[in-house]
Amino acid sequence: MGATITNINDLDLNGTYSYADYLLWQFSERLELIKGKIFQMSPAPNSFHQEVLGNIYYQFRSTFNKHKCKVYLAPFDVRLLDNKKSTADNQVLTVVQPDLCVVCDPTMVDKKNCVGAPNLIIEILSRSTSNKDMTIKFDLYQENGVQEYWIVNPFEKEVHIYTLQNGKYIGSRPFILETEIQSPTFPELKFEVDKIFET
Amino acid sequence: MSAIITNINDLDLNGTYSYADYLLWQFSERLELIKGKIFQMSPAPSRSHQQVSLKLTREIDKVFLNHKCELYIAPFDVRLVDFKNSTAENQIFSVVQPDLCVICDLDKLDEKGCLGAPNLIIEILSKGNSKKDLKIKFDLYEENGVQEYWIVNPSEKQVHIYTLQNGAYIGSRPYIMETEIQSPTFPELKFEVDKIFEA
Repeated sequence: MGATITNINDLDLNGTYSYADYLLWQFSERLELIKGKIFQMSPAPNSFHQEVLGNIYYQFRSTFNKHKCKVYLAPFDVRLLDNKKSTADNQVLTVVQPDLCVVCDPTMVDKKNCVGAPNLIIEILSRSTSNKDMTIKFDLYQENGVQEYWIVNPFEKEVHIYTLQNGKYIGSRPFILETEIQSPTFPELKFEVDKIFET
Repeated sequence: MSAIITNINDLDLNGTYSYADYLLWQFSERLELIKGKIFQMSPAPSRSHQQVSLKLTREIDKVFLNHKCELYIAPFDVRLVDFKNSTAENQIFSVVQPDLCVICDLDKLDEKGCLGAPNLIIEILSKGNSKKDLKIKFDLYEENGVQEYWIVNPSEKQVHIYTLQNGAYIGSRPYIMETEIQSPTFPELKFEVDKIFEA
């Protein structure tokens, strides 16, 4: 049985951890666990990242108001299960905090957060995390059956949507300013790309 | 019969032109025609654009040396034929200069360039070519049956590959540094992304 850890330096950053360990961490640094490995998050996202997230949430909220699917904003833990599908805390090795996610199955959300793959995940790139979002998380969400994954690039003011088809993500055209973006999974979710990036 | 034009200012930049007109233009400015509309190109591509272009050419040339398909680099005119499929010069309204292209049907090649859709087109983004041009070309290449289209972004050090499936482009994962890129159409064409973006 592990003890509470209050200083991130007490962790072995190359070690392997489970959600049971994660629950004992009481330091202020944010991190994610992917297949047991620690991925540190940027200390606090910058203001443009947060504005973009706010804009997206606003669009999503109006679509998912009184909808069976619910929208959750970071920080919100999403526990993904490995092939053994065990939900025991010490068997869960992946805990991520997507910027935004949509969950349609209410039984997946418990008091703590979400267990299993959300229907849609959005990550907004930041300079420090963009590689993780585009490779490690791309593979992770694809493997775990996250039906739709949006990668939002605030630097390029561009969005790419990936949708699962036969277990593989296929990408949309680049959605750029002055075009309309529409979710393949939730066609009622559509709006001008400009709305995401306006400040 | 129209006369030779030596000053770009003598053109109506909002007018509609054909390849027959284009052949009469003898000024130094580079431009493309898309569905009859003029799109000016940056006077000279930036140094970083040229660096990426050279490195891409090196990688791609290795594969197409002694291959039945041929590689061409800009400036190289590609004439795309509209739905009437007329190849008369005054019936061709799209003439583009992709950064790189690969053509397998050698009957499409003549002294003026390529007439018809190349099998692969690569465009390297630069500050000069706006995102709007990007969207127009994406649609143009999709409509014209360009089997594979690469969008290379030097500032983000990222490549997206689009391949035609049932007449529509589907996108690849983002290819970023420290990953390997592979062409779906020409599987022998694969290399480390770092090779094209490293300084």
